[in-house]
Amino acid sequence: MRASNWLSESLAVLAKDLRSELRSRVAVNAVGLFALTTLVAVAYQIGPYRIHEDDRPHLLAALLWIILYFAAASGLSRVFVKEEDAHTANTLRLAARPGAVFAGKLLFNLVLLAMLEVLVVPLYCALMGYAIAGVLPFVALLVAGSIALAATATIIAAIISRASGSGTLFAILSVPLVLPVLVFLIQGTRAAAASSEMAAVVPALQAIVSLAGVTLIAATFLFPVVWHD
Amino acid sequence: MGGRPPGVATRSTPPATCHESTSADSDNGSGRPEVFAILRAVKAVRVEFAGIAKRYGNRSVLTGLSGALVPGTVTAVVGPNGSGKSTFLNILSGLIRPTRGEVRYRGDGADLERQHWLALLGVAAPDMAVYEELTAIENLRFFARVRGLTHDDGHLAALLEDVGLARRELARPVATYSSGMKQRVKLAQAIVHEPAVLLLDEPSSNLDEAGHRMVANLVARFRLRAAVAVATNDPREMVWGDARIELAL
Repeated sequence: MRASNWLSESLAVLAKDLRSELRSRVAVNAVGLFALTTLVAVAYQIGPYRIHEDDRPHLLAALLWIILYFAAASGLSRVFVKEEDAHTANTLRLAARPGAVFAGKLLFNLVLLAMLEVLVVPLYCALMGYAIAGVLPFVALLVAGSIALAATATIIAAIISRASGSGTLFAILSVPLVLPVLVFLIQGTRAAAASSEMAAVVPALQAIVSLAGVTLIAATFLFPVVWHD
Repeated sequence: MGGRPPGVATRSTPPATCHESTSADSDNGSGRPEVFAILRAVKAVRVEFAGIAKRYGNRSVLTGLSGALVPGTVTAVVGPNGSGKSTFLNILSGLIRPTRGEVRYRGDGADLERQHWLALLGVAAPDMAVYEELTAIENLRFFARVRGLTHDDGHLAALLEDVGLARRELARPVATYSSGMKQRVKLAQAIVHEPAVLLLDEPSSNLDEAGHRMVANLVARFRLRAAVAVATNDPREMVWGDARIELAL
């Protein structure tokens, strides 16, 4: 297998999903509306001044990732379910290599997460009065966290796609895999908000990159079995 | 086995005539090189199946089906509803695992690896849709690209015209098509890579008389170089078969 072909096939899957999404807007609407609703509700009820100064670093970091993850989950989990629902999964199974399908779907979920973060993070910081001292470390966390969350969501989405009650199953399978990532993301965000030094977020970053790596390696071996069986 | 007689595969044609793929040569260098190398080397693919059985719970659908799809031959898979025609084609394409038995894709006397025979396989079936948000051209471009091929739009438009879609229809999303037009896109998807094995499940479903003639021409064209199987209940399609696999309830 030549890498250039594999990459080209993965990008074909990504382009197809992006084009379909731009025309149907199912995932974008679900994720965007969920994010905005949650964000407005949190901002309205809590806002920048209703949290005690001592609690702000913990709560604001946690709330940010709760909004981001739960908004994203409504869209990320659908990448394979929509193929099964539309009866296109078998056509795709016979046409594309599993590695290219997984990579394409992972990239699509990454794009979705990136769009969500671009929308939510500045709004959240503005509405909640959340100042991030270390912008660069925070961006590094967002990138690493997005990869870890997208990888986890993509492989779980593949596992649940042919099950009935896939929404419930996604939540159940996500807990043990997503929880550690979220814990380190919240810790890292708290550190990035307090300090502009990259060193402050390195421990969290290392943990997130490790979790992302483990998930990606496991998914690489697991996906062909899940996809074809 | 539920007392059902096993399906019998019969072959009434002489051994296959092998034709080297000209499309592989014309596509050379534009896509997945290892596939084209195999296409050139293999020339023709024979699908052998032995002792295929499939059970769904207590119900046996197939019981010990053996035979082969031979290049240069059209095999009609016939039988009443529920006899397992679609299940059989799904087992041949690897979408369903048989309860018992095995399927082997052989080229030049050697077994082909799954990733290689999948690249040489084209399938159109009722439960295999194309993307409704995309246009017909975009669908074909996508299915060509994920197979490592880079056909230009002119080639893809010509292919869609071959299956009976007018050029003016090609810019609309498939979701706006009639069921017959969607069937034509499915057929184009199945042949966009000039497969060496073509499995068609009820290929004329939703098609009008002109569509039926188009499918007959398509089957006749692929008979020259590929192993073709057509699962059908339509007497007009059964006559395409040089060989016949009869399945019973």
